Amino acid sequence: MKKNRLVAALFLLVTTAVLGPLRSNIAVAAATKQEMVDLLKGVDDRQKNQGDWKSGVYIEQKEKGKVAVVYDALVFRRSADQKFMILFQKPKASEGQGYLRVDKNLWFYDPAVGKWERRTERERIGGTNSRRSDFDESRLAEEYDPEDAGTEKLGAYDAQVMNLKGKAGLDLAFPVIKLWVDRDTKNVLKRQEFALSGRLLRTSYYPKWKKIFSESKKADIWYPQEIRFYDEVEKENSTLILIQTVDLHSLEPNLFTKAWLESKSR
Amino acid sequence: MFAFLVDARIALLNLVEHRRRTIFLGSAVAVVTMLLVLLTALSTGVRQTLIHSATTLSTGHLNIGGFYKVTAGQAGPIVTDYEKVLGVAQKALPEMDFAVERGRGWAKVVADRGSFQSAINGIDIGAEPAFKKALDIESGNIDDLAKPNTILVFEAQAKKLELKVGDAVTISSQTTRGVANTIDCRVAAIARDIGLLSQWNTFIPNESLRTLYQLRPDVTGAIQIMLKPQYVEHLAPLAARLRSSLEQAGYRVMEPDARPFWMKFQTVSREDWTGQKYDVTTWEDELQFLMWTLTALNGISIVLVVILIAIMVTGIMNTLWIAIRERTREIGALRAIGMQRGAVARLFLMEASALGLLGGCVGVVLGAGVAALVNAAHIPVPKAAQLFLMADTVHLAVEPGAVMFAIVLITLVSGAAALYPSLRAARLRPVDAMSHFG
Repeated sequence: MKKNRLVAALFLLVTTAVLGPLRSNIAVAAATKQEMVDLLKGVDDRQKNQGDWKSGVYIEQKEKGKVAVVYDALVFRRSADQKFMILFQKPKASEGQGYLRVDKNLWFYDPAVGKWERRTERERIGGTNSRRSDFDESRLAEEYDPEDAGTEKLGAYDAQVMNLKGKAGLDLAFPVIKLWVDRDTKNVLKRQEFALSGRLLRTSYYPKWKKIFSESKKADIWYPQEIRFYDEVEKENSTLILIQTVDLHSLEPNLFTKAWLESKSR
Repeated sequence: MFAFLVDARIALLNLVEHRRRTIFLGSAVAVVTMLLVLLTALSTGVRQTLIHSATTLSTGHLNIGGFYKVTAGQAGPIVTDYEKVLGVAQKALPEMDFAVERGRGWAKVVADRGSFQSAINGIDIGAEPAFKKALDIESGNIDDLAKPNTILVFEAQAKKLELKVGDAVTISSQTTRGVANTIDCRVAAIARDIGLLSQWNTFIPNESLRTLYQLRPDVTGAIQIMLKPQYVEHLAPLAARLRSSLEQAGYRVMEPDARPFWMKFQTVSREDWTGQKYDVTTWEDELQFLMWTLTALNGISIVLVVILIAIMVTGIMNTLWIAIRERTREIGALRAIGMQRGAVARLFLMEASALGLLGGCVGVVLGAGVAALVNAAHIPVPKAAQLFLMADTVHLAVEPGAVMFAIVLITLVSGAAALYPSLRAARLRPVDAMSHFG
């Protein structure tokens, strides 16, 4: 009997010793998954304005063997109904051209032909390597499921690395993203986007972040002042985006219309 | 009838009698006919080459293409359920010789040294022996295109990217749902350029194209239908019948639009529908952007022919004026022994027409000979012209119909040129004619 108790105690001890850490690891892994989701939501929330947005952006596209393409444009956003519009101001040849999102459709207007063309949401903006999503509100948590990919030192920053996989049923330009987020500020530091085949297509760096107070949110919001995209398929191509001015005042109610965009080139 | 034969005999004897003039004028007529034959042969040759190259490379005589729209703004050039659609086409078109399926896409081909935008064509090389014959392979083995993740590029493309057989390229595009995707391909073969189409077309196996665009096995880009030779020139009613058969089978079919499929993206994207719509086109629709070369060539040929004929008419009229002047006393004698005015006019008309007929026959033989020599010499076409002619050597096609047309035209024109001088000769009074000296 005594011997049996000893065996039972020994079994309990071994079980606790072996399964205990495992159980705690499972708990840690589950927490990490949730932490990743929370972190991703935090990344989005820091940038979310919950109101109107107007910014002046500079876009520069460099391609091997070609003259650099440079645009000055205004970006308009409205959080409430996910409205989005870009109006090109420079160069002269592109003045008055613009993109307008209506529901889930992105439309392109060229005053030279006076016609609207329906484009995919994943269109390369102005033929550069930037997409609509690079100028729009961050919706990573809505669109992707994150997985922990460890931590990494990125220059002076401690970065949390995440692998993001596109949620089922959503049509995303990049089905897989690897994201480096500053553990202290929750600002994105680096991002790599992959094709369905698993090939790395684009690496983006976010070296400068700036905050601005949002009346509509009653808090600071953060936006990247500079984004650098490096084409990983055509290694010598790159795109630079500078967000030079940001204005969070309310925009005209009828701004996000085809008529408004057309009126800018008359 | 007897009078006609007598007149014809006199006309021929006159031609023999005035041998030197006949040879001179007949030679001029023969040269004009030869040029007419050669111009027609050039135009026909270009058309034949264009049809042959294009129908081998990028279009059938008839095509069933179309667009699938996942959302109103996202159109892919694909044909779903293609085997069933082909079944409908086979029933509707007994004139069909055979049909092949081709994948369609637009992507960036990237190599170490650069990139270019390309129309990506999916092909099952084992099922298309005519394709292999149509291309002149500079290096590599076209049969290797049967292996997955291989690519056939053209000379100029290979030169631009400094590609050799065996080199790797990346093809980057978006799936029909707009998701970025890539495939890595190895260059299986480099083909010699064949004009404008080889500037932007590349070929990969159908399966690789399906992988790139994430397409199901029952989806393709287009069904290219090749017709039996006798039906190739009568496409409009066949296209209409095919369109109507598809509609009757319950498929949505786009309105006829004589443009290549890649020019229809904007129109299709503007429309609000989603799902599949099929599109029936002819090879002329798909090559509409090249048809101006044929139109221009035909236009130039017509202008040249008109100029040549004008010169010929002037020559015949002048010569007949001289002949009538020389033979005024002879005309007077004929009129005096009872020949009617109409017979005199007919005599000169027959003389000119016989000259036209003989000169025309000689010209046709000469034209056919020169065309055969040109074809045998494989005269290279300048690079700039290759873009539009879709051939690297000059090809002249002398067709029996064109030969008959040339002979009949030249004979009639010669006769017409002689009409006025003949009537003037017939109007001469016998007394005046016989007293004519000069």
